[in-house]
Amino acid sequence: MKIKTVNLRKVFRVGPSEIVAINNVNLKINEAEFIAIVGPSGSGKTTLLNLIGLNDYPTSGKIFIDKIDTSLLSGRERRKIRLFHMGFVFQTFNLLPTLNALENVELPMALAGKPPEKQREKAVRLLEKVGLKHRLYHRPKELSTGEMQRVAIARALANDPEVIIADEPTGELDSKTAKEIINLLSDINKEHKTTVIIATHNEKIVKVADITYTIRDGKIEITS
Amino acid sequence: MRFVTFCFRNLFRRKIRTTLCILGVALGTTFIVAVGAATMRYIAVIKEMSILFSGYVMVVSKDAIVIQAIPIGGGMLPQNHTEELIQNVTGVEKTIPILFITPIDIGGMLQPVPVNFSMGVPVDEWHSVLGPTPLRGGLGRFPANESCKEVVVGASLADQYYWTVGQDVMIGNHRLNITGVLDSKLALLSRCIIMPLKLAQEIYYSKSESVNIILAKPAQGYSQEELADSIENKVDYVKALTEDERNDIIRPILLQVETWNLGIQTIIFILSLILVMTVTIMSVSERRRDFATLDAIGAPLSYVFKVVLFETSLIGVFGGIIGIIFGSIGALLLAAVYTNIPITQFIPGIFEVVPPLYMLQIFVAEIAVCCLGGIIPAINATRIRVAEVLRAEY
Repeated sequence: MKIKTVNLRKVFRVGPSEIVAINNVNLKINEAEFIAIVGPSGSGKTTLLNLIGLNDYPTSGKIFIDKIDTSLLSGRERRKIRLFHMGFVFQTFNLLPTLNALENVELPMALAGKPPEKQREKAVRLLEKVGLKHRLYHRPKELSTGEMQRVAIARALANDPEVIIADEPTGELDSKTAKEIINLLSDINKEHKTTVIIATHNEKIVKVADITYTIRDGKIEITS
Repeated sequence: MRFVTFCFRNLFRRKIRTTLCILGVALGTTFIVAVGAATMRYIAVIKEMSILFSGYVMVVSKDAIVIQAIPIGGGMLPQNHTEELIQNVTGVEKTIPILFITPIDIGGMLQPVPVNFSMGVPVDEWHSVLGPTPLRGGLGRFPANESCKEVVVGASLADQYYWTVGQDVMIGNHRLNITGVLDSKLALLSRCIIMPLKLAQEIYYSKSESVNIILAKPAQGYSQEELADSIENKVDYVKALTEDERNDIIRPILLQVETWNLGIQTIIFILSLILVMTVTIMSVSERRRDFATLDAIGAPLSYVFKVVLFETSLIGVFGGIIGIIFGSIGALLLAAVYTNIPITQFIPGIFEVVPPLYMLQIFVAEIAVCCLGGIIPAINATRIRVAEVLRAEY
C-alpha cells in the first residue's frame, strides 16, 4: 500500500484562535517501508498519523492511498480501509478492558466477518508470535504494560494489514520492553512486508527505520 | 468473541450502577404489573357480571346505584306490590324477585371492595337467574323449597372456609346446610351464598317481604327498552335498566380506571426511559476510549450502535424479568389485601390474576423502552472519534 500526502494541512480552532497542527506536509510512503516520525511534543505527530490512518479529516490537502483520493471516500469506505488494510498501535494500548487478550485480538477479525474458529486459531497464533501464549485468557488489567502493547500489536496484525500505524508505541514502556517492542515491529516489517509508520521519541526506533521524518511546528522534513 | 458476551461484560463493568439501574427498571415494572394486573382483574370481574341477568330488565329502587348486577344503596322494594304493578305492565312475560345482599361480613374484617355476596332467589327460578351453572363435582343439589334452610355456596368461599356439601354454616343466628358448591368461573358467583328468597328475607330483613331487585323478562315482540320505559312510567318509585343501560353506567367508570392505569404505566415507562438513558449516557461517556478504539480499528457505526442498544435492552430484559416476578407477587398481594381472601387461594390461578399475555406485553414494552433509552447514548457513542479522544488525552 502506497500512501501519499499532498499539501496536507490541519488547523484546529480553539475559540477565536487557530492552531496549525500540520502545515503543507508532502509525504510519500512506499510499500514495506519502516518510517519513523520524530518531533517534540505538540509538533503534530499524532495529528499526522490520525490523518494518514484516516481517523481524521484534513483542513486542506489530500491523502492518496494506492492512488485513491481518500477525500472522496465515504465514512463507511474509510472504516473499511482501516479495518482491512490498516492496523493501529497506540501509546496507551487502547485494549478493550472487558475482553481478554485473545478476544481483543479476535475483535478486528470478528468485525471483518471471519468465522469464529478462524478468529480463534489466528488470534492464538498471533499471540504466540508476540510471546503471549501463556496470557491468552488474561484481561488487560492482569497484564504488564509490555504485554498489553504486545496484545495491541497482535490486534493490529489480525486482519493482515498492509500498514501498521503506531503512535508512540514505546512511550509507556521501560527501555528493555521498549526494545522488545521495537524488534517485534521491525520483524513484522521484514517478515510480512508490512509498512510500519511510527511516531516516536525513541532513538532506537530511529535507528531501525528506513526513513526518518522530523516534524516541527507542523512542517515535516526528512532527516535520515 | 461473541457479541452478547461482549455487551454483557460491558454492562456489568460497573456492577453496582448497573444493578441499581436494573433494580430501578424492575421496580417500575413491578408497579406496572401489580397495579395493572389488579386493575385489569377488577375491570374483568365487573365486565363479566354483565352475564348475570342477561335478557332481563333490572328493576331497582329509584335512588339505587347499579354496578352491573349489583345494586348499591337505595331503598327496598315491597315485593308483592311491586311485582303486581310490573306484571300489569304490557309486555312483561314474567318477574323474578331477588334479594341481593352485599357485603357479608365474614370474620368482621374491613372489605374495601365488596367480595362476599348473598342472594335470595325463588327456588323455582334458580336456573333463570344463574343460567347453566353446575355444582362442583356433580355433587349436591340446589335448595329444595322456599322454607328449607339450605344454601349453595360459591367455590371460592367454599375453598377459603373449607365448606363442603352437607356441612352446616352459621350466618347471623341461622344454621344453614350447604347442599352444593357452585362451579362457576364468574368471580361474583364464586363469592356468593345463594339461598331461597324467603330464607334470605328472614335472615336479613326478619321475614319482611322486601327485595332490592325485580327482574322483568320482556314478552315476545317487546324490546328491553320499551319494557323499561313502560315500567318506569307505571311504577314511579323504581328505575328499570336494560342490559345496555347497565353497561352504559359502568363504561365511563371503567374507561376512567383504564385511563388512569394507562397514565400511570406511561409515567413509569418514561421514568424507566430517563433512568436507562442517564445511566447509559454516563456509561458511554466513561467508555469514550473504548468506542474511540472501535472507531479506529474500523468497526462499523452500526456495530457501535448495536453494542449500546443491546446493553440497554439487556437492562430491560433483566429489569423486566425481575419486575414481572415481583409484580405478579404484588398483584396477588393486592388481590389478597383488597378481598380478604388468603393469597394461597390465588396462587393456583396466578395466570388468571396476571395473564401471560399481559406479562409478555409488559416485558416487550419494557425492553422497547430501554432500547429507546439507549438511542441517544448510542448516537453519542457512534460520534466518538479516536482523533478527538487522543487529542483530549494529550
